[in-house]
Amino acid sequence: MLFTIAWRNIWRNRRRSLIIMVSVIVGVSAVMVNDGLMVGMIHQMLDNQIGSHVSHIQIHAKGFNANPVVQNVIPERQRVERALEGTAGIRDWSRRNVSFGLLSSARNSAGGRIVGVEADNETAITSIHASIIDGKYLSGKPREMLLGRRMAEKLKVGPGDKVVGMASAMSGDVGSELFRVVGIYETLSSEFDKGYVFTSLEDTRNMLELGDNVLEYAVIVENLDDIEHVTQKLRETLGAEYEVLSYADLLPLLVAQVELYGQMMYIIYVIIGLAMIFGIVNTMLMSVFERIQEFGVLMAIGMKNSYVFRMVMIEALLLALIGTGAGILLGIAMLLPLGTIGIDLSIFAESLTSFGAGAIIYPRLTINSIVSVVLIIPVTALLGALYPALKATRLQPVTAIRYV
Amino acid sequence: MEVIRLEGIHKTYSDSGVPVHALRGIDLSIAQGEFTVIAGPSGSGKTTLLNIAGALDTPTEGNVFFTGEDIGEKSRNEVASIRLEKLGFVFQAYNLIPVLTAMENIEFTMMLLGIDEKSRHERARQIMRELDIAQLADKRPNEMSGGQQQRVAVARAIVNNPSIILADEPTANLDSETGATLLDLMQQMNREHKLTFVFSSHDQHVIDRAQRLILLRDGVIEQDESL
Repeated sequence: MLFTIAWRNIWRNRRRSLIIMVSVIVGVSAVMVNDGLMVGMIHQMLDNQIGSHVSHIQIHAKGFNANPVVQNVIPERQRVERALEGTAGIRDWSRRNVSFGLLSSARNSAGGRIVGVEADNETAITSIHASIIDGKYLSGKPREMLLGRRMAEKLKVGPGDKVVGMASAMSGDVGSELFRVVGIYETLSSEFDKGYVFTSLEDTRNMLELGDNVLEYAVIVENLDDIEHVTQKLRETLGAEYEVLSYADLLPLLVAQVELYGQMMYIIYVIIGLAMIFGIVNTMLMSVFERIQEFGVLMAIGMKNSYVFRMVMIEALLLALIGTGAGILLGIAMLLPLGTIGIDLSIFAESLTSFGAGAIIYPRLTINSIVSVVLIIPVTALLGALYPALKATRLQPVTAIRYV
Repeated sequence: MEVIRLEGIHKTYSDSGVPVHALRGIDLSIAQGEFTVIAGPSGSGKTTLLNIAGALDTPTEGNVFFTGEDIGEKSRNEVASIRLEKLGFVFQAYNLIPVLTAMENIEFTMMLLGIDEKSRHERARQIMRELDIAQLADKRPNEMSGGQQQRVAVARAIVNNPSIILADEPTANLDSETGATLLDLMQQMNREHKLTFVFSSHDQHVIDRAQRLILLRDGVIEQDESL
């Protein structure tokens, strides 16, 4: 019956209750959309990094990630490839050579990472083949090169032009090769496009004097949830001579950013909750003050303080639950289509692409976001109702009954 | 059997800084089954006396005993329990809970006592039939007349079988015919169920029905006689 009374009391002053509910609805849906936008952006950054180069797992010789020199080749290629073939959960893998080098055209020079890939295998690992904006993807012919749009602009070259690549070779000398630009790619990260060029594995072997050695294996797993498990399995199989790194090891800053953002969102939830508390305090205080005489009667007929307290708290909880429920529905109604259509933030395109997020952000609806508002908003509403509820319990029946 | 005993009750209000002596040394005992009226002019202390007897207010001095227990020694929650279990109140302004129907208003105190829903319904229906208000079960206070509301208030007051019912000017807001009907009802409850009623009133119709009349003037009992 306390619920019945609380429920009906809410609707005694419809306008006031609706105002506080609308404020909760707007707050909840806004925080969900904001959360979805940020989660979407960060995941786009992460997906783009994984999809353009990093892959899920990389295997190198021990110490290569900290000191990526050509002398640090994979010790036993066949052993690694047997491990890759024998480990469950791996979808695709590809060999790579990666080296810092200097690229020169007839007009300009720039430093960058020269990545030698197996053209066909790499299409199953990264999405560079799908990011060509001019020319074509690597065909497997010798001395072909793909440049990012920013790199091509800097070197002032396009498809068909020649570029000389130079890098430190196995012998310690400078190895060089003449390449012909076959295509220009553009990913969602302008920084990536400025720094990475792709050529064939064989060309880098020749240029870097690697023989049939390889510097890196890039791996894609079948199920994202298995990345850590597969990484660990490969570590155990390959032993201490190799470093097996997941994307989380390779992109520590980005992963830390994801975790940091998760914690920051709780702060945003708490701020929204705090703002809501004042609305709840105001509404519930007004509600208590309007019903002082009624509380007096309830106490006179034997209602204990605990019941009075509970009644006020239930009213606040109902207000918050209705507002939170409707806010979640509104948030979902906004996020679902936005997750498909995306939010066009072209006016911030330059900064977004430099972060690797892309100009169109696709917000993501997360269970975490829903669980957070369901837990935080009603709790803050109850905190807000504490003072009015305690105020109601302190009323003296005899004076409250006479209150006009 | 004695239900309420007041010993040396004084009540002084000093809200405005000037002490006002509402009650000055009241000694009073109410026995089971009495139909008592506390009468007196406005400001004589009737309502204050009723509030103190009903444990709604505390005396500045003196003791209130309820069925032998000194309620001055009880906690706020214990006093609330006494009001819930042993006292029934009928107020001048009816004071029903506006968001509840007549039936729910009557059931409310039973709910506070933890009585299950089925038993509450049965008991409430029985009382409503006795008071001839069964047809009001689903009506809210704003859909009822003053007389109907006061009948529901009486039903709420008696539903838990209290030891005593305290009625503060119960007919003051009713026309004389409705007031008379209500008093008939209360007298009937008193006769048939030996319910103890204590009224505060200056309504002559109420005073005329008193079995015991206590006349207050300036906070002291001027007259206390059985009629």
